[in-house]
Amino acid sequence: MIDFQNVSKHYDNYTALRKITFSIEKGELIFITGPSGSGKSTLLKLIYRAEIPDEGSIRVMDWAMHTLKESDIPLLRRHIGVVFQDFRLLDNRSVFDNVAVALRIRGVDEKELKVRVFDALKTVNLRHKSDNYPPSLSGGEQQRISLARAIVSDPTIILADEPTGNVDPDTSAGIMRTFKDINARGTTVLIATHNRELFRNTGRRVLKLDFGNFAGEEIA
Amino acid sequence: MTFSYSFRLALQSILREKWIYLLSVMTIAAGLLFTTITVLFVYNIDSATKKLPEKFSVMLYLSDTISQQERDNIITTVQKDRAVDKAVFIPKDQALKELKSTLKDSAFILEGLGENPLPDSLEIKFKSDAVGPDAVQRLANSVKDMKGIQEIEYGENFLSAVHSLRTGMKTIGMTIFIIMSVGMLFVCYSTVKILFYRKDREIETYKLLGATRSFIRTPFLLEGAVIGFAGGLLSLIGILTLYYFLVFRLSSTFPLLKLIAFPIDLSLAIPLSGLLIGITGAAIAIGRIRY
Repeated sequence: MIDFQNVSKHYDNYTALRKITFSIEKGELIFITGPSGSGKSTLLKLIYRAEIPDEGSIRVMDWAMHTLKESDIPLLRRHIGVVFQDFRLLDNRSVFDNVAVALRIRGVDEKELKVRVFDALKTVNLRHKSDNYPPSLSGGEQQRISLARAIVSDPTIILADEPTGNVDPDTSAGIMRTFKDINARGTTVLIATHNRELFRNTGRRVLKLDFGNFAGEEIA
Repeated sequence: MTFSYSFRLALQSILREKWIYLLSVMTIAAGLLFTTITVLFVYNIDSATKKLPEKFSVMLYLSDTISQQERDNIITTVQKDRAVDKAVFIPKDQALKELKSTLKDSAFILEGLGENPLPDSLEIKFKSDAVGPDAVQRLANSVKDMKGIQEIEYGENFLSAVHSLRTGMKTIGMTIFIIMSVGMLFVCYSTVKILFYRKDREIETYKLLGATRSFIRTPFLLEGAVIGFAGGLLSLIGILTLYYFLVFRLSSTFPLLKLIAFPIDLSLAIPLSGLLIGITGAAIAIGRIRY
């Protein structure tokens, strides 16, 4: 499903990732961990082609990133649901519209869209806030809207960048349950987190990064 | 994505940024109004002067001693010219008759003349699309040295003046039209560009969520279209009001104003020009969307 071979990514004054190699099978729920600045976010960005590797090759589903045409990028991204670390919500749109935009981009008709958006909001327990605007919500609630937007389109892969960074332990447990449920339906889930509590005793694979270097793999 | 959603996004954006839009619409309306006044001015001058050359003719006065052969030669040469529509031979007797009928009550002044003083002549009419100082000069040059020609009479200065006026007005009109169009295009471009930058984060989010170029682009093109079309409509209302005021109110004082023509096609052309300018300006402003 996702395959990295000797991938490196350099920025002007530092190397974010160095010779990273790993594979993720279809239907896996996997964690990437490491301290802040270890390259977790960069790794996720390389998967949804927000960044281009300087070395190595990446394959996501049937797309080889080094040969991916610019016109195919939207197509790739429609197969991937992303929970962004900074949420990336549209402040001047209601919660409903923020989630719905993922479906509107995919051309889903309004009737079906309404049902699916409310389902997704129900999943993250924010059905009652559908008419609110993001700035009026807490950080945790905004994070859950971002999650709802990522899952509403039923993507093949979900990437979550620190999805529990702004939430209390109960909400965090709820979010993890949501990921497990989605994964149980066959969706590949990749969660980047520095919070070891999140994957402790889950029995899932954990890839460890340490300042851009691959620091091993373990079963939690 | 449905078109209606793009339209909704465009409408929301217009309402949110109503003052910027209003300013752009007013600027485009003013630009189009000025352009339309120029176009109308040129159109009316052109219409008024277009018919003048059709009435124009060149007269070749023939000598009394001209032979039939020489006359035929002149007619053949004249008819060969591609600008000539027809050449009519006017015998001196007919010329006198016409002169008498023109003079009407004053015809008595010709009574003491005895012999007809008028020469035979050849009246040359030009094709309406070919008449011009160059064509007339060319014809005059080709026949002036031919045997049997006594005098050539043609209003070269008049024709040149009409021609210069028409060409000059068209050139000035076209120059103003181009300058104003570029200006209006720039207004649309700037407005959409500002809004495009303002929505930078929103557009980036759309891209990351998998939006196609047309999904991102369409609302901006619609916004440009609305600015242009609204500016066009406002300009049309302005020009119709001005026309009404000039032709129906001021013409009692200045009767010449009644002659101002307003081609009905302009009613469609002004809003459509605005629409085209709006869409083009927006398209240039968005540019190529990169992922």
